Amino acid sequence: MKYERIPLSGKTEPRGTDLVDRLERQLEQERKARLEAEAIAERGLRELYESQVRLALLQRITDFANQSNSFAEVLDMALKEICLHMGWEFGNGIRVSDNGRVAAACDTWFASEPDRLFPFVEASRAIRVGVGDCLPGRVLRDHHPHWIDEIAAEDWLARRPQAVEAKLLSACAFPISIGDELVAVIEFFSSKPMIDKDAILLTITQSATQLGRVIERERARATLLHDALHDAMTGLPNRVLLDERCRSAFQRLSTGTARLAIMVIDLDGFKAINDKYGHHAGDALLVDVTGRFQAAINAFQQSHLQAGHATLARVGGDEFVILLDSIKDGSVAEKLATLLHDVLRPPTQVDNDQVTAGASIGIALSGPEYDDVEQIRRDADLAMYEAKASGSGHTVTFTDALGTEARNRMALERELREAIRDKQFLLFYQPIFALTEDQRLMGYEALIRWQHPTRGLLDPGAFIDAAEQSGLIVFIGDWVLRQGCTALASLHKRMVNKTPGCELPFVSINIAPQQFLQPSFAQQVQRVLIETGVPSDCLRLEVTEGVAIIDADRTRQVLEEIRAWGVRTSLDDFGTGYSSLSYLQNLPFDTLKIDRSFVASIEDPKSRNIIRAILDLANNLNLSVVAEGIESPEQGRVLVEMGCEFGQGFHLGVPLDEKSAFALIDQRRAA
Amino acid sequence: MKGVIFNLLEEAIVAEHGVAAWVDIMDLAGARGTYSSLGSYPDEELYAIVDHAAAGLALPVPDVLRWFGQGAIPRLAERYPTLFANHRGSRSFITSVNDVIHLEVRKLYAGAACPHFHFYDLADGRLAMAYQSRRQLCHLAHGFVLGTAAFFGDAIDVEHLACTSKGDALCRLALDWQ
Repeated sequence: MKYERIPLSGKTEPRGTDLVDRLERQLEQERKARLEAEAIAERGLRELYESQVRLALLQRITDFANQSNSFAEVLDMALKEICLHMGWEFGNGIRVSDNGRVAAACDTWFASEPDRLFPFVEASRAIRVGVGDCLPGRVLRDHHPHWIDEIAAEDWLARRPQAVEAKLLSACAFPISIGDELVAVIEFFSSKPMIDKDAILLTITQSATQLGRVIERERARATLLHDALHDAMTGLPNRVLLDERCRSAFQRLSTGTARLAIMVIDLDGFKAINDKYGHHAGDALLVDVTGRFQAAINAFQQSHLQAGHATLARVGGDEFVILLDSIKDGSVAEKLATLLHDVLRPPTQVDNDQVTAGASIGIALSGPEYDDVEQIRRDADLAMYEAKASGSGHTVTFTDALGTEARNRMALERELREAIRDKQFLLFYQPIFALTEDQRLMGYEALIRWQHPTRGLLDPGAFIDAAEQSGLIVFIGDWVLRQGCTALASLHKRMVNKTPGCELPFVSINIAPQQFLQPSFAQQVQRVLIETGVPSDCLRLEVTEGVAIIDADRTRQVLEEIRAWGVRTSLDDFGTGYSSLSYLQNLPFDTLKIDRSFVASIEDPKSRNIIRAILDLANNLNLSVVAEGIESPEQGRVLVEMGCEFGQGFHLGVPLDEKSAFALIDQRRAA
Repeated sequence: MKGVIFNLLEEAIVAEHGVAAWVDIMDLAGARGTYSSLGSYPDEELYAIVDHAAAGLALPVPDVLRWFGQGAIPRLAERYPTLFANHRGSRSFITSVNDVIHLEVRKLYAGAACPHFHFYDLADGRLAMAYQSRRQLCHLAHGFVLGTAAFFGDAIDVEHLACTSKGDALCRLALDWQ
């Protein structure tokens, strides 16, 4: 391509008016260039200024949002800052609720002139609209900002009359979201046009992001707080929250006549269900029980106006507590307890089985004697243990007597532990005689005594119950078995040394049900026999029918096992309790012991008939009989006449310490 | 004083009296003659220009200031149309001068020392405009008011109620919209 040269006047210097014209044109061009440069620079300066001011505003909102944990507080500040920044008259905060169906003003607003805007502020501060209604409702519907350029022309705006009255011209509203969820709306009104929408959008969207973060933090904190105060599995308040509620309920007590009740609920048999079906089954059961309890409490509160306020909490594996607050009448708690027992009755489906979990409920009521709520909790606990001791499905309300008893029992338990540790027990021996002419001494019943450091020598009646309830009976029983056999062995040794081949006495030892049902009981007996060298037929074990009631099969197995070695077995206290004949049929006993109560009332023909029936029964089943508690020659005579072979009692021989008791046999044999 | 004021004054003088008049005034006043709207220049330089313009045109200084203010408004509107866009009349423009016009000035020139005008209603219904004026610049304000009225198609009577040049503490103008 070829270019043609365009002629320029550059080579020839212009002169005169030409030069002036040219210079003037040049000057004008320069001037325009300067103005343009200035305009560009001014535009830049202006934008820089505006962005600095906007950033400063956002920085203030962000700083405040970071410092504050309250959305209301940050919203209040942000509305004010934005209005002042934009020169707008009114800003209003609206929270979204009901799963995004309702937008309700939260009474957080800013007005540049509250007096002048009063009617409009009043119409706005408590506005509550549905999706699509009014300005916030439109944001709720569309999830994007909305603008109104001329309020007077928008007849759908519910607050139009008040806005026009307040000389408001324009409005805008923006969503505040967390992720996809619309959580709040902010709306602004101005008497001037909102012209620079891009700048407004930028500023408010960023402010809204900060506000959203505050709500997010508020929620996270609420969740953390909820998790810290609630049981994850059932969603119920946990021990921490219960403690807090108990304390504040107790504090409120001082101001009125209302009372509070604490109900401690322990599920019976929960551990067995957990062991048998696994933890998932136990968990499912707990969730099911929780639902039943909640429904029962709700129903109870609706039907009992005096029921007060109830907090159901889960405080341990299978332990629940209900705090009944503001109750007028203490009996409310017992009524609720009855209802709770009722709702537990229908079985729960676990795997392919149906299981039923009963509950033991302890109740304690507030009263002037309590200094703090913890004491009430402890007493309710104690009442629950009392309820549990009486079997599943019971309720016990704490009383002073119960408290004293429990405290005494706890003290006794402590002393029993010390007694075991310090070997404070000793054995007395009561001789058992053949009820024949010569009253031959056949053996001894070993009877425990406690050489208490301060109370002196105690009979078993003073401590055996406590030992059984605390489980210490197992340790004590083992000691009795071993000690009785050891003592008998040394007696045997002495007698054999003196008179080789003589007839050896037996020792009869009481075995508590808990001890008897220990898995290792039979082995323990065998070990004692081997270690002490007592001939097995010189050991008699006395059990009551209580063991059979607990587990008849196992009782039979154990009895059979120890009898196979030659150990004799006695059924103690026969005639009292159930005295089921099926025990006699199924359980291998050698001896029946007639309870002392029949012997004591032997003058009564009824008692005599019973004794006679027992003797007949024993005769037919080939069992020997020992009558207990023979306290008079007359009682002994009647028993002999009725054909009772053996007997024991104060009339024949009181329980004596080892040395005196065993001296007796030497005297007898010598005689 | 912001350079834009010098620019507007130059434009007014050149338009009315030609380039030579401006150049002469510059020479007589010993002024630099080159002003950018982005810059700030000593107030004394403006006063010197005004004084020499008054002498050259054989007019009193207040008249020159008033004439200049009046003629500056349409030129300002040409340069900064957004300043005028949001106003429908001269009253709203004049009363927003502190919050809008001077705010805009500060946006462009950080730290610009703009005067503050105090507006209040007089018992006779006129609007009072009071400010601490230096060197009779109240006449410049007077001119701006007249120019603004003309720009919006209004008419305003302006009366100087008080003036620092007469020993008053403040300059006070009474504005009466016709």
